[in-house]
This record gives sequence, structure tokens and C-alpha cells, in this order.
Amino acid sequence: MNRPISTYKRVQQWAVFGRLWFLFDAKWQNPFDSAEKIAKYLAGKHKPIYHPLSDVGDHVVVINTKDIALPNKEWRYRMYYHHTGFAGGSSWTSAWELHNKDQTKVLWKAVYKACGGSLLRHNMMERLHLFPDDKIPQELMENISDHMKQLRPVPKALHEYTEEEIKNFPKVFEWPEDYVLN
Amino acid sequence: MVFLSFVNCMRVKGPDKFWKRRQILKLAAHFYGRKRNCYSIAIRSVQKALQHAAYGRKVKKLERINLWKERITAACEELNIPYPLLMENLARCDIALSKKTLADLAIWEPRTFKCLTQIAAAKNQSYPPTVKAALQPPPEGVITRGML
Repeated sequence: MNRPISTYKRVQQWAVFGRLWFLFDAKWQNPFDSAEKIAKYLAGKHKPIYHPLSDVGDHVVVINTKDIALPNKEWRYRMYYHHTGFAGGSSWTSAWELHNKDQTKVLWKAVYKACGGSLLRHNMMERLHLFPDDKIPQELMENISDHMKQLRPVPKALHEYTEEEIKNFPKVFEWPEDYVLN
Repeated sequence: MVFLSFVNCMRVKGPDKFWKRRQILKLAAHFYGRKRNCYSIAIRSVQKALQHAAYGRKVKKLERINLWKERITAACEELNIPYPLLMENLARCDIALSKKTLADLAIWEPRTFKCLTQIAAAKNQSYPPTVKAALQPPPEGVITRGML
């Protein structure tokens, strides 16, 4: 017999099982390491209430996928295999070629692999939203309530510092006045 | 005259074949096809099913332990403390809580769980096993009075 629960408990349950939307900035991040973290959020493994059969995964919106950073020589030597099913129908596409065709595809495939081989993978991938740049549709932007921490800090370029910051940066020694740098 | 010892000399046929088979077929009652009705096929699948059940009893325990570990790890990540550090320092504090209890606390009593993580962090600070732990600032809001 289903017993009614109090209003407070009911709302608490909605809050516990409600889906959250996370934002992840993929700029200068390793897509294969990021994919494992994203897959964890898609499955709901970041929550203490996690159970593989209770549907507690969250949404993840990934921006700036065009700026992902593959380690070492992966752009050139990572191959994506496809077979059409016909004789001689095999093809290998390198990561840089795939990235030129679709700027979200490398990360999509990395997350697809990181989600594991279970039947839940399809639903998990439905909760992943990839965008090549930082332009997100307004209806998605309204849902986002939190962001995931980047795995690596994005270093600041020299031209992004102000004149004052560069001037006040601590120096070990001063160049002599008659020294020509370039 | 009654020959009482004659009974012992009779040939013993053993238990009734029907009831012996009935015992096996009862275990196969929910199987599909001839595995349910034909004894010679049923006995094979029943034996296999019992093997699977024995294996499952072992795996069930391991899977539960893994689930508790995942849940505690998730709660630890929220509170920014690694799972091994929590478990090691709770043991050093003689707080003998099982993984099941910790996982339940993480879900139903998150503040109690947070207190436990703070105790673990304070213990790690007071008896640091590594130089790195000694260099970190002590956790806020934990009054130990040197008793940890």
C-alpha cells in the first residue's frame, strides 16, 4: 500500500532526485581525462545516493570543444576507425581530420567510450550537450546551476596581463640599461 | 511365529524414484521449455543454476561493498577529502564504523558525515604520516584539546 508522505518530505525527494546542469569549459583540457570526469557526472557517481539502476545522472554542457588539447602527438597519430560493411569499406581518420570535420566529435567519442558498455550509455549520452564555442542556446543557459572544475588551469597569455601587473611582477635581477634584448 | 529378522534380509530398493525426481523438478519449475519437464535435461540445468546461485552469493557481497565505496567516495569528493585518507584516519581514531554505516550517514545524515571527515582531517594533521600533511593548515572548527 502506498502511504502518502508529508509535503516537506515530498519536496525533499524532488530536490534529491532533481537533475542538475553543470557547465564544463573544455578549453586547453585533455579530452580523454575530461571524458572520465564528465562520464562520472552523467552517471551520477558524484552523488552519495548513486546506484547504477536509479536514474540519478546529471546534465553536462561542455563549451569550447574546439580548443581541446590532445597530449603528445595524438592529433596526428590517434586514428578513428570506421567500416561501411562493404568489402574494402574500412577507413581510418586521424584526430585532426575528424576535428576539422566536426569540432565536438573527438570529445563526444571520448565520453562515449568513458561511459562504459552498459545499456545505460545511450541515456547518459543524451544528457551531454557539446558546443564548439562559448555560445549556448538561451533555454540551456537557463538550466545551468553549477560548473565543473577544470582538470588543468588555463595559463594566462602575456598580452592578457595589464601593464601594471607586468611592471609589478617580481624580478630576480634588472637588465643593465645598455643590454640589448633582441 | 514372527520372523523379525526377515525384514533385514529383503532387498532394499532405495528411495522412491518418483519423489527423488520430484525434488529436482520442483527446483526446475520456473525454467523454460523441456528443462522444466524432462528429468535428464532438468538435472543438468538445476545443477548449473545452483552453481550460479553459489557464485552469486559471493559476488553480491562484493558488489555491495563496491557500491558503498563509490557512495563514500562521492561524499568525500564533495567535502574535499580523499577516500583512503578518511578510512585510514577513522581507523586510527578507533572509530569503527563500517562502510555500510558510513554510506548511510553520507546519504541520511550528511552533517554527521562531515564531522567525521573533519575528525579524520584533524587526526591526519596531528599525527601526519607525510611531510605534505604537516605543512597543510589544520582544519577549521575542530577542537581536539590534544586528545586525538
